[in-house]
Amino acid sequence: MYLVANIDTGICAATSCKLCTQYCPEANTILYNNDAGKDKGLKYGSAYVAVDRCKGCAQCVWVCDNMAKHNAIKMEMIDQIGDTALTQNVTYGEKNSSATLASPIRG
Amino acid sequence: MSLDYVKFTPGFGKFMPKEYRDMVEHGPFGKKISVSQVGMFKEILEEHPMCAGCAMTLFIRLAIIAFPNPEDTITVGTAGCGRLAISQAAIPFVYGNYGDQNGVASGLTRGLRLRFGDKPKDVVVMAGDGGMADIGFAQTLHSWFRKEKFTTIMLDNEVYGNTGGQESGMTNRNQVLKMAPLGKKFEKMDMLGMAKVAGCAYVATVVPNNPRRVESVIKKAVLVAREIGPSYIQAYTSCNIEYAIPTDKVMEDAKTVEDDRYKFSEYITDEAKEYLSQLYGYKEYLPKPATAVGKQ
Repeated sequence: MYLVANIDTGICAATSCKLCTQYCPEANTILYNNDAGKDKGLKYGSAYVAVDRCKGCAQCVWVCDNMAKHNAIKMEMIDQIGDTALTQNVTYGEKNSSATLASPIRG
Repeated sequence: MSLDYVKFTPGFGKFMPKEYRDMVEHGPFGKKISVSQVGMFKEILEEHPMCAGCAMTLFIRLAIIAFPNPEDTITVGTAGCGRLAISQAAIPFVYGNYGDQNGVASGLTRGLRLRFGDKPKDVVVMAGDGGMADIGFAQTLHSWFRKEKFTTIMLDNEVYGNTGGQESGMTNRNQVLKMAPLGKKFEKMDMLGMAKVAGCAYVATVVPNNPRRVESVIKKAVLVAREIGPSYIQAYTSCNIEYAIPTDKVMEDAKTVEDDRYKFSEYITDEAKEYLSQLYGYKEYLPKPATAVGKQ
């Protein structure tokens, strides 16, 4: 098994920094959903990770901890992460993106 | 330019891979996209085989997002790590033989101007420090002396990362590397100084720990190269393998190096300032109003 980035939506949707989306070296890996926080009554959307593209460098963790100081991203084992976003389930809209969550192991 | 070349042949759309469909329907072609919108549109760069946490990849990703007209942009590269990512983008990529990239780009730029007249076609060379400052040094400098109108971007990782860690002209003095065990004996080459002497209209240094600055610098360099003359960007893109930087510390290293010896710098000629302010609304380059003469 291997580590991938996992973003805590509760913490992320309370801010709107989007720094991790800009600092990830992989394209379309950390995406942003403007509507992610609304269900939980939070102000902003949240970033999320398409884990099939994540190479596990943890650059986003450093950026979130040290530049944004939000501590919202942790590296977790892919088989213990629960349902998450995969590239095949990502839908782009007009200035937004969202993903139906699925098991990273079974798809 | 027509955007038809990025669209599907009628009837074939449903057979195309998801990434292709996303690119056509939600890509940045023909739109004004900025770094702040990242994560909400399909990027031109696709999955690539570069190392995890590579700062060069991050810079390439930001540079491609920053292209002012990606549908009218052609990238040119050469051997080195960078081409592994640059070639995985949905814009044309031309591979020059090692060191030939600025020569290839010269011919390409001239050919495109003959073919498309006054419609801007942006040619952007992205190559490593070895391809540009060592093996392609003559062609790089001559393209600048000839005032070829394209952008040259050096992905400066200060080492031959792809071949095991030999020193390059851009490696710092005394730096010990796997294939330079006694340390480099000479100073880092002053490519910025040479770019200015050779007549580049826009020269900048940048580190990818400031995405908005990368975006701004790339946009200006590409726009200046359309009409005024050659532009040169030197980007510090550390090799976390050869310099043994833990992947989660790559941005920390970038910040340290930026503060230490890779400070942001920008050189722009008066002609380029006037061009950017008049045609593209860069207010910072507008001529400053004359100060009031003091009362006597």
